[in-house]
Amino acid sequence: MPALEVRDLRKRFGEVEALRGVSFAVEAGEVFGYLGPNGAGKTTTLRVVLGLARASSGRAEIAGMTPQAAASRADIGFLPGDLRLYGDMTGLAALDFFARFRPARAPRLRPMLLEALAIDGATLARRVKFLSHGTRQKLGLVVAMQHDPSLLLLDEPTNGLDPLVQQAFRSLVADFAARGRAVLFSSHVLSEVQAVCSRVAILRAGEIVALETIGKLREKVMRKMRVRFAGDAPAGLERIAGVARSEAQGREATLWIRGDLNAIVQALAAARIDDMAFPEAELEDIFLGYYQPGAAP
Amino acid sequence: MINIVRRQLERNWPFLLAVMLVLGGFEFLLCAMVATVNVEEMFTQMSNMMPPLFRAMIEQNMPGGRPAGVLAFGWNHPVAHALLTAVAIAPPVQAIAGEVESGAIELVLAQPISRARYLAAHVAFGAGALAAVLGAGVAGTALGQAVYSLDAFGWPRLAELFVNGLLLQLAIYGVTLAISAFGREGGRVALAGVLVAVVSFLVNAVATLWSKAEFARPWSLHHYFDPREVLVNGHLAAASIVTLGAIAIAGIAVASLRFERRDLP
Repeated sequence: MPALEVRDLRKRFGEVEALRGVSFAVEAGEVFGYLGPNGAGKTTTLRVVLGLARASSGRAEIAGMTPQAAASRADIGFLPGDLRLYGDMTGLAALDFFARFRPARAPRLRPMLLEALAIDGATLARRVKFLSHGTRQKLGLVVAMQHDPSLLLLDEPTNGLDPLVQQAFRSLVADFAARGRAVLFSSHVLSEVQAVCSRVAILRAGEIVALETIGKLREKVMRKMRVRFAGDAPAGLERIAGVARSEAQGREATLWIRGDLNAIVQALAAARIDDMAFPEAELEDIFLGYYQPGAAP
Repeated sequence: MINIVRRQLERNWPFLLAVMLVLGGFEFLLCAMVATVNVEEMFTQMSNMMPPLFRAMIEQNMPGGRPAGVLAFGWNHPVAHALLTAVAIAPPVQAIAGEVESGAIELVLAQPISRARYLAAHVAFGAGALAAVLGAGVAGTALGQAVYSLDAFGWPRLAELFVNGLLLQLAIYGVTLAISAFGREGGRVALAGVLVAVVSFLVNAVATLWSKAEFARPWSLHHYFDPREVLVNGHLAAASIVTLGAIAIAGIAVASLRFERRDLP
């Protein structure tokens, strides 16, 4: 039985259809990426899964239980995309408050998480409203993970985390999966999902447009390459094998590339190059990869 | 469930303690006043100076200016109503609309607690808070009577007053909770709750003084709370218990039905 199964989920808010037949399953031991731009329906999916919003049709099941059953949430951990803790509580009181909802499960991972995420005693003694956004986010991660749940639902978990903590968090997530826990990792940042997930569903306008392993996704994703030439950018860049699209202005050219890089570099070497960079791919680039005529299915 | 009650208590105890002290102190001070001044003489002098409308209003509430009437009026005084109503309105506003507005409800209801238990915990806290504040007021009256050797009313009548007052405030609580279950902003729900309480109080006051408006009295929640009748005459009408109890239950039921079905946050 999957840790989480979503079947033909639809959710309508008045005239707007936020989810249009979403289906996927998250198995134990995997980190499942749920990738999509803001407004694609990622948070709505999580809210339906948690029973916070009702599906218009279709269903979601956590370990075979419907979201309306409180017991379905006993063995999960959740980090909302827009985390709101009670500001008047201290950090420690907030951790204790959420731990008390599961009296039978001690927050046994708490000390390890506090150390890994660099949350010290002084921070825990301060009221949540006086903590920085990043520190509140770290507390939210501890709330979600401290009872060692079988299923972790993380909505934009690295929001506000500095790069060092992001790295620590990624290894925590990998460790969870290695111990047979299932993780649903919702994000709009491709590199983040590529770094931690084994499979990924790509959501756009309430529909899953692709459900792939990360390896397959890498093959399909069009990377962006920015080249500054010594003189004007040569014409006909899009005719180079592996270049799907190009835009040139003066000395600078942006290429959307797929596949083997060597052939492209060799072709570009005919002109003198001053600089070359590979900026972070944007979700639209991924969608382009899926919608471009001739893109691999 | 205990976790939510505990949380509410931690969050609200300074407010509750302050209201308990002020209400208890207010009722105690009335006893002190009744014991240390000649209330009947003062009442006669004041009454003669007042316009007929105000005279009628005071006579309705503290007939003849007797000490028992003055002490009973202390329970229908706007100060007492304002304090109790604040406690009847703030917790139900917090319970749903306030938590939706703050966004905290999303993480709380993602824990293994059903919405029914979440709401039950809030209702339990609200009822407990109202009982505590009313209890403090009744204790103020009892303590004042003991300290100043007044023999106005005994414990059975004070207990009936407690029941009548608790039911009135629970009715206001229930109506506010129902509004809260439909709301997303605490401020608006609080305003609606205050409006309900103020309009109810005014309708009762006007209908009591003006015979042409008397038809409206049964539509006021405050009509079913009569401290003078309870304390001075020792009579708590069964209709008051049933009406206020039914409104409280109906309000909580509507809130529960709506809360169970709505999308959050």
